[in-house]
Amino acid sequence: MVSRRAAAAAAHTEPIFPAGSYDVLVVGSGPGGLQVSYYLSRLGIDHAVISADPEPGGMFRRYPFFQRLLSWTKPHAQLAHDSTEYERYDWNSLVAFEPEHRGLMPGLMDGSSEFPSRAEMEAGLRLFVERTGLRVRYDTTWQGTSREGDGYVLHTSAGDYRSRVVIFAVGIAEPLLPDTPGIEHAAHYADTREAASYADRRLFIIGKQNSGFELASGLLQWASPIILASPRPAKLSVNLHSLDGVRARYIQPWEDAELGGGVYILNASIERIERHADGLAVHTRRSDTAEPFVAQVDEVIAASGFRAPLLDLPQVGVSVFGRSGLPAMDNAYQSATAPGIYFAGTIGQAVSGLKKYGIPANSGAVHGHRYNGRLLVDDVARRWFGIERPRPEVAPEDVVGRLLASATVAPELWHQKSYLARALSRDPDGVIRDEGIVSLAEYVDASGPDGVAITVETDDSGDIHPAVYVRRRGRVDGDARLDSSPLHDYRDAEHRAQLAALIGDVLA
Amino acid sequence: MNQAEILDALAGLALFSDLDRPQLEAVAHTMSEEAFPAGQRILRQGFSGSGFFVILDGEVSVRVDGSDVARLAKGDFFGEISLLLGEPPVADVVTLVPVKALQLAGPDLRAFLLAYPPVMYRMLQSVSRRLERANRRG
Amino acid sequence: MSLDRQERISWLTGVPLFASCDKDTIERIADTTGELSFADGQAIVQQGQVGNGLYIVVSGAVRIVAGASELARLGPGDFFGELAVIDQQPRNATAYADGPTDCLALASWDLIALLERDSGLAMNLLRELARRLRRADAQLRH
Repeated sequence: MVSRRAAAAAAHTEPIFPAGSYDVLVVGSGPGGLQVSYYLSRLGIDHAVISADPEPGGMFRRYPFFQRLLSWTKPHAQLAHDSTEYERYDWNSLVAFEPEHRGLMPGLMDGSSEFPSRAEMEAGLRLFVERTGLRVRYDTTWQGTSREGDGYVLHTSAGDYRSRVVIFAVGIAEPLLPDTPGIEHAAHYADTREAASYADRRLFIIGKQNSGFELASGLLQWASPIILASPRPAKLSVNLHSLDGVRARYIQPWEDAELGGGVYILNASIERIERHADGLAVHTRRSDTAEPFVAQVDEVIAASGFRAPLLDLPQVGVSVFGRSGLPAMDNAYQSATAPGIYFAGTIGQAVSGLKKYGIPANSGAVHGHRYNGRLLVDDVARRWFGIERPRPEVAPEDVVGRLLASATVAPELWHQKSYLARALSRDPDGVIRDEGIVSLAEYVDASGPDGVAITVETDDSGDIHPAVYVRRRGRVDGDARLDSSPLHDYRDAEHRAQLAALIGDVLA
Repeated sequence: MNQAEILDALAGLALFSDLDRPQLEAVAHTMSEEAFPAGQRILRQGFSGSGFFVILDGEVSVRVDGSDVARLAKGDFFGEISLLLGEPPVADVVTLVPVKALQLAGPDLRAFLLAYPPVMYRMLQSVSRRLERANRRG
Repeated sequence: MSLDRQERISWLTGVPLFASCDKDTIERIADTTGELSFADGQAIVQQGQVGNGLYIVVSGAVRIVAGASELARLGPGDFFGELAVIDQQPRNATAYADGPTDCLALASWDLIALLERDSGLAMNLLRELARRLRRADAQLRH
């Protein structure tokens, strides 16, 4: 007879998810992998999660360097933290169907900032795993992939795992160095040291995107001078109406450069880096005049981006593109060329959607991809397990109100503007059904029953407003917009009238 | 693809064939590379907020009211007429296979062409040729 | 009806194609264009001919004809003949004076030089061609 204590001890050492066959495999235990594991578990789809890390958190175990995230969680947003509406103001918690598992981040933050620290974010992900009962096999490194029959084999440090469906949530955290001669004299952003160790150092940062400015900002009081260089001018997110450019938090170096305070911002291409007795010489060519310019510095950091560590996936048919080697996917995040392989988390940013006016969605961030993951899992459920999404009936008199309420409060629409939408459709038998949250690109291009999708959009003047897409006879022929509203509330008589006029013939 | 491969790919496109290496590098940083699955519209008839695209790989069909009027492939570009006129597209551009393309945000096209006169000149030639063709068919 | 240099400069400033050109460029255009007069029905450019330049209608009217179709009817301030210059193909249409008509003619090499030094002008030309293309495509579908 085994004592209770011995049994408990045995349970802790029993390996979960040993090598073998599973219905679905998830690789990665960052926010992307954890969120899809959650959705899979709630749909009752058996799956194994493996991770090379010893504990959950993904990139948040390491980044950001200078301690606070760029994504906010506002504890005093006038909404209950366990409501879905609160997700609009909490960019960091993973989402859940159960109220008691929602909005975990505010409870973990010490109140000194609306931006969690890296440690708080990591703790939040760990708490989500514990509370929702997610299971992960840690310290298991994916090392290679093969095709076998109609499925895949993942070769890992713990043996071979087999499945027809594999969801890779491996992030985009593999450092990418430019192929500049002498780049070996530069350190990559990922290897940045303690800020104080840059005191009195002349610093050259290659790259003027967010990570370059993040470094300049964090090292502003230590390194001098700081030179930021890349061929193209920096773009600020406030000007782009999106999170795409340099975020407001990191503008200090820009202001410094404008005032001649010791930061220099150059538009130049880096031609080569040479080591001399006095340090490093960075040879550049200015973008405007094509004149050469040489900077004498002590250190060079390449904030030149990252790639997705997809190992040998191209060899099993995954087509990749761009500098970061991201996979080409369909609107449900399945590889466009290798059926059964999906990508969750930040990699989903490669599905660009409509990108109207060039404004991208937030799929690279937690508050974007935590919703994309639902579409991914719904697609897996439908295609591979015959589980259809419920489509509850909607009374005709509720149609306008429901669409406008979505446009006003739905966090999916506000975080993924012009990318996710709320759709209602009319079946051939005349019954109106709620399609829930859908991919806007999929809705406007795929055929289907008559219906309407509503989302929130920003135009190139920065105006935020609801946008309406009507499908008639299998086709969405154009877009329409409703008036904007100062407090973004569209539940008034005027908006009701505008929307009713647009959709009357389809969903009356 | 590494930087050198990307620049080589750009240099091979007619639209950019008069640009020198630094200009190509600047273009590579200004336009974003996107991948589209098969059966997706890249340009949508009647939609606001459209962009400018140059095809890197794959084939698309230009469709007006459901009928094919043209096929475009690697090196071809589209979207500029709508942007120059400030009007929505009058045709759909649909991918026939998975497509990789460079994308430029609509509001940035004007500044882009003014910054790269050789590109604007190539575009001028392309539009002229299409106008001549249209006049001949009339 | 002949324009002196000042009149020509003043008139050119009002031509939409040159709306973004600075004073120097307008003067350059004034100095390099030649003024030509045509009688009613006279062909200003002939389909199939080598293109030698672009024309701007100063007074009168011009009919652009290709085969049996009239492609356009132009008036003062409108331009034509640019396609053959840009694409260096033979003229794809004939332009007839409709009533007595005066035009300013800008030789090919002068137009190209202008386009090279003035991107705003190139942009205006591009926009106008885009407009015509959209109109032509729309007509083809009806």
